[in-house]
Order: sequence, then structure tokens, then C-alpha cells
Amino acid sequence: MPKTTAERVRIGRSSLRLIRGDITELDVDAFVYYARHDLTLGSGFGTAISQRGGPAIQKELSQLGPLETGQAVATGAGKLKAGCIIHAVGPRFNEADTAGKLRRTVLAALTVAEEKGVKRIALPPMGAGFYAVPLDLCARVMVETFQEYLQGRTGIEEVVLCVMDQREFAPFAARLALQEA
Amino acid sequence: MSSKNHRSHNAQEVLSRLGKKLSRQIAGSMVACVHCGMCTNSCHYVLANPGDPTYAPAYKADRIRKLFKRHYDWTGRVFPWWVKAGSVFSDEDLEELKDTVFGKCTNCRRCSVNCPMGVDLATFNRMARGLLVSVGIMPEGVAVVSKDQWEIGNQMGVLKEDYLDTLDWMSEELQAELDDPAVAIPVDKPDCEIVYSINPREVKYDPRTISDAAKIFYFAGENWTMPSEGWDMTNFGLFSGDDDLGGAVARRLFEKVSELRGKKLVISECGHGYRSTRCEGPNWAKFDVPFEMESSIITMLRYLKEGRIHVDKTRNSEPVTFHDSCNNARSCGMFEEPRELLRLVTTDFREMYPNRAENFCCTGGGGAMSMSEYTPRRLKSAVVKANQLKATGAKVVVTSCHNCVDGLNDLIRHYKLDMRVTQLVNLVANALVVPARVAVPAGGPPEIPGEAVEAFAAERPVLADRTIVVADDEPDQVTLLATIFEDHGATVYRAYSGDEALEAARSRKPDLLTLDLAMPGRPAAEVFEMLRKDAGLVDLKICVRSERPELRQTIYEQAVRPPEGYLDKPVDEQSLLRSVRKILELAH
Ligand code: SF4
Ligand code: SF4
Repeated sequence: MPKTTAERVRIGRSSLRLIRGDITELDVDAFVYYARHDLTLGSGFGTAISQRGGPAIQKELSQLGPLETGQAVATGAGKLKAGCIIHAVGPRFNEADTAGKLRRTVLAALTVAEEKGVKRIALPPMGAGFYAVPLDLCARVMVETFQEYLQGRTGIEEVVLCVMDQREFAPFAARLALQEA
Repeated sequence: MSSKNHRSHNAQEVLSRLGKKLSRQIAGSMVACVHCGMCTNSCHYVLANPGDPTYAPAYKADRIRKLFKRHYDWTGRVFPWWVKAGSVFSDEDLEELKDTVFGKCTNCRRCSVNCPMGVDLATFNRMARGLLVSVGIMPEGVAVVSKDQWEIGNQMGVLKEDYLDTLDWMSEELQAELDDPAVAIPVDKPDCEIVYSINPREVKYDPRTISDAAKIFYFAGENWTMPSEGWDMTNFGLFSGDDDLGGAVARRLFEKVSELRGKKLVISECGHGYRSTRCEGPNWAKFDVPFEMESSIITMLRYLKEGRIHVDKTRNSEPVTFHDSCNNARSCGMFEEPRELLRLVTTDFREMYPNRAENFCCTGGGGAMSMSEYTPRRLKSAVVKANQLKATGAKVVVTSCHNCVDGLNDLIRHYKLDMRVTQLVNLVANALVVPARVAVPAGGPPEIPGEAVEAFAAERPVLADRTIVVADDEPDQVTLLATIFEDHGATVYRAYSGDEALEAARSRKPDLLTLDLAMPGRPAAEVFEMLRKDAGLVDLKICVRSERPELRQTIYEQAVRPPEGYLDKPVDEQSLLRSVRKILELAH
């Protein structure tokens, strides 16, 4: 019987790992924040980034925006444990071509990470939750995009998918199992 | 820009999603309205804006109904002009709809209960909100709060460290107030009777409600805990109409309680939290909940009825009135329990009129407190509530909802009423008769500083000059208690039945009698009543003991003075001594 869930798979020379936790507290080289076009941090993970990381991050962002959907930029991570934060603007609220735009957004985030020499990068379920990207679609597109990207030449050694709860965990674990099979 | 021939992507999304949302109940409400107008004056917006028809419930409902008629009902396709069918084409049309469904209705359901045709506007108003949210059209405040709840796990963006710090701080304050290091708020303790969940507003603005609840649990001898995560029982999905958010939030809470193997989830006083968690949550989350759920109103009332806590209601002597939260009362039918509790802990309760299912909204419902763009409208409509409050002559308005606390505070300030707002938990905690808590929590007794007891004993035995009768049919239990009491200076008489207890009490005139509730022969309730009615034993203090808490009910049902305390079985020496000393120091 093939496994129906998995928490770690190898893709090329890199690994893709699924964990439960608070992405803003991870000790990684970079984590991705699903940003607004105007790069205002706002609420949600934005609250955690500004409260735990300090005001420097928003100050740096004020020089960098606005961004189009599918673009990403990096800033420092202030007092957070991560090396830097990659702010990526993805599709939201059931807009047209959500899957295509999401794929481009994930690729943009990985490209920025590559440029910064990031080896370990964490991403949340991009756009799922508040921005209404359906969770199954999110899991499928993200895992397929990692598969595609990590097969090529890359300095990224580990991609961490950091989910908040069991509801988010399940579709990603199922996707990774398919990947493994 | 959209024309009548071209529909915007968002408008198209809203219409196609509408089809998927049409449950039988909603479709029924869509077709049932006969425009009789009976609901019109139910609405606080209408009463405060008599010349403006756009606030009438049926008018507001028609903004949504026309879409249904046009796209999902054959009458609208054949006779659109006759059944007032219509559509949305542009994002501006959706913005207009937003102004109605978020800005002109608090989903209070007062019109719903006054409709003879059973039209539930609030339900399809919520559905319309959800459709707009799915395409990102919502008031900014709704977006901020929803994102916090999705990503931080609570709707006020309280970070985990701040939540845990607040619990620590409340524990320290309680320890200082009660002079007992054992009073601490337990976090993530497994296998408890109660897992207590709260509204993040309590952490951010009103931590006293947490410490008051902790105090009540402590005096009730409850085995309880608070979760470190998944502790927010509020659910903005109820207000925003986003069932996915509703399900995610409820599931986090349910999974945490299951992980802790809690026997019961107690929901602190919050109308929408109670409705979302207990009534709607299992559906939204598609979760088969394996534990009981209860409002803290019921928990507090139960403690009082079971004699697990004791109160002195004269401590709450200001005139109070009660505001029924729409969600607790109209939507969940909780009308009498808060009143029963209120009468037990206050001396001057006055009803507000109308009340119960007919009460008016605090005007902060449906998430209105987060939508600052509609504040002037909200406060204008609040004149109805202000008049209701003023007519009671009360100085305090009590409500069992954090949302209502904010809504009422705001209108009290705006209309300059001489009143304050409080909750039942505050009144119960304020009325607690402190020495009554003598139970030993399951899962281990609280840590009592042994040195303190010993140091005291070194000077003078703590029970010197005390006479105690120990009544229990189990000789081991009698020996255990008698030895401890004797070791600490008491003179002890042993009784192995109810009749022997009566006899020993009458002949020895003890200071205290410990009464086991499960002795064979004469029922304990009868023995207790006879002891209480004996004119020669008016000063006798009685402490009931049982390993079956339900037996205590029979004692507290007697029409005589209740026992001074109770002890669970088994009990350790330090807890026993501490409890007995407290009872002996207690004045009638
Ligand atoms: S009372 Fe019911 S039937 Fe009459 S107008 Fe209001 S919603 Fe329609
Ligand atoms: S639900 Fe309440 S606020 Fe909304 S229309 Fe009905 S009475 Fe008015």
C-alpha cells in the first residue's frame, strides 16, 4: 500500500518538509510573507512580523512597494530569528487564473531567495485562509512548483512548508505522499 | 468598467457562488416574504431613522432577494419586472450591496422572530456578506480582524507570548489576593474536567474577567485548565459570513480540547462565541465533537446550586438590569439561566423592557464594532437601546457578551448615561464568600507550604481546643481523619452511622462534624437536616464528604442553612487541615 501522507520528500538534491508551527518564529534563512500590493504589513502574520520583528521591517518596505501580483522582494527580518523575509504578492479572493498566478508567485519568491543565497526557506500555504485560495489548489500548485523548481540548478537545500493546523496539514501531507509515490 | 452586457469577474463570482449557498432554509426565506411590513418596526435602525425606507428589513432583504429571483427562480426569469428581479454587474454594484449588508444590519434576528412567514433575513444577510468576502469586498475592519483570526489564531492578533504572560500575571495577582501560592491558572493540563476558552478581548482589555473566572474555579475546587493554543472561542466567520473561517476556527478549538482530553469545554461569557462554538461550529468544521460544551453562565449557576461556591449577594447591591445578547438569547434560547444567576448574586435586579427574545440589539452586533466607517449610523440607531437602558433606572447593566460590553459602553458614553457595564463572572466573583472553598481538586492537591503549617504547629497545635466528630461508615476513613485531627490537637469522637453521628453531636457538642454522605441507614440528607434543626447545635459547623459530587445536591436542597464546606475523597493531610481551619474560622 502506498503511503497516503508524508512529511518529508526529496526533490533533486533538496528536501521538502512539512511542519506545523508559527512561520514567523522559525530559525530559517528566509520565510515568505503573503504580502499586500502596497507592502503594508497589516494584520495576521503582519501583526506578528511587526510586533516581534520591530519597526525596521516596515520602514524598509516603504522604499520597495508597490508590487504587482506575482512579484516578490526581500527585507531584513529585524529581531526575528529568520535571516530575511521575502514579501510575495499573490492572487487573492478568487481572482481569475488563481492557479497560474500562484505558481508565478511561488517561483518569484524562490528566485528572490536564490539571489539572496538562501539555503533554508519556509513558506506558508500561500494565499489559503484569508485570501481565499482553496486549500487543495494551494497544496497542488505549491508542491508542483517546488517539484519543477528544485529539479533544476538551485542552492536551496530545504523548503519548509509551515502550516498552522491539522486542517492545513492534511492536504499538504496527501500531496507529499503523491510526490513520494 | 462594466456595462449591462458585461459582468465584472467579481460580480460573476458572487452570482455563481450564490447558487451553491442556497440551502432549503435560505431559499425558503427568499420566496416567503409577502411584504406585509410587520418586521419593519422590529429593527432598531428603522426606529432611529423613521423617514428612511432603506433601513426596513424587507427592503434590505430585497437587495439580496432580487439576485435570487433573477438567477435562481423561474418567476424572475419569466416576469422579472413583476417579482422585482435584478442583478449585479459591476464592482460598484457590489460595493452598494456591501453598504447594506454590513452597514445597515447587525444580523440581530429581531425582525426574524417577528416575521409571521418565518423569513430569516439575518441568515441570508450573513450569506450575502460571505459572498462579498469571497471576492474581497468587505469593510477594512472586517478584513483586519478576519486575517488576524486566520493567521494568528485569534481575532485580536494576540500573540502567544502575550496571552501566556497575561495568564501568568493574573495568576500572580490571584496568589497575592488570596495569599495562596496554589492559585495559578493551569495551562495545557491534560485530562481535566473543564477546558476554559475565552474571548481575546479578555486578554487585551479585560483580564479581570479571566482572574474572576479563575477565582470561581478555584473556590469550586474545579479541575480545570486553559489551552495554550486554540483558546479563542470567538469566531469572526459568524459575522463575515465566511464558513471556511468559521470551520477553521472551531476546528482548532475542538482539536485542542481533544488533544488535552478535556471532558467539557466551557465557553466564557460571549454571545457570538457561544453560538459559533456550540451551535454552528461542529457543522462548519464538520467535526464530531467528543466532549460536552457549556456556557460559563451554566457552570457558575451549577456551582451555586451544588453548593460548590457560596456567595453573599449583598456585595452587589447596586440596581442592575440585564441585557440579553442577541446570540445567546434569540439565537440560542438562553433566557432564564442568566436571570437565575443574577438573582442569586445581586439584591436589586430590574428587567429591561422589552427583554428576552424581544430585546433590542446593543447595536454592536454582527461585527459592527470593527466597522468604523459605520460608527455614526450605529450610534444613531443606539438611541433605541439608550432609551431602554435609561428607563430601568439601573446603575449597572449586566450582559453575558463581550461584544455587547463594547457596544453598550460606547452608547453609554455617547448618550451620557450614568451607568456602567459588567458581566456575570465579575458579579459572581465579587460576591464569593471566600472561605467556602474547601474541595480538593482531582489530580493532586494544591501545594500548601508545609513549613508554614509545621511552624504554626510548633507554636501551638492548629486544632487545639477543638472538638470534632468524624462520621463515616468506613473505619479506615474514620481512623485516617481522626488521627490527623488528633495529631494537631483536636479531641475527636468517632461515629459509624447517621444515628451515631446525631448522638455524638448532641452529647459532645463539637465545633465541627464531618459527615460522609453515603452511610447506610438513615439518609445523610435527613441526618443533616436534623442536625441543623437541633436548637442545641446552632454553632455546629458541618463539612460534608463524598466521592460522589452528585450526592451533595441532596444536602443543598434542604431548606436549612447549607453546610460550611465540603471535602472530596480522597484528601491529603495538608489540604484537609487547611480546609478544616478555614471552616472553623468561618463565622455564620
Ligand atoms: S414580516 Fe416577514 S413577510 Fe412581512 S415584510 Fe417582513 S420579512 Fe416580509
Ligand atoms: S437582523 Fe436586526 S438589524 Fe438586521 S434588519 Fe433585522 S432587526 Fe434590523
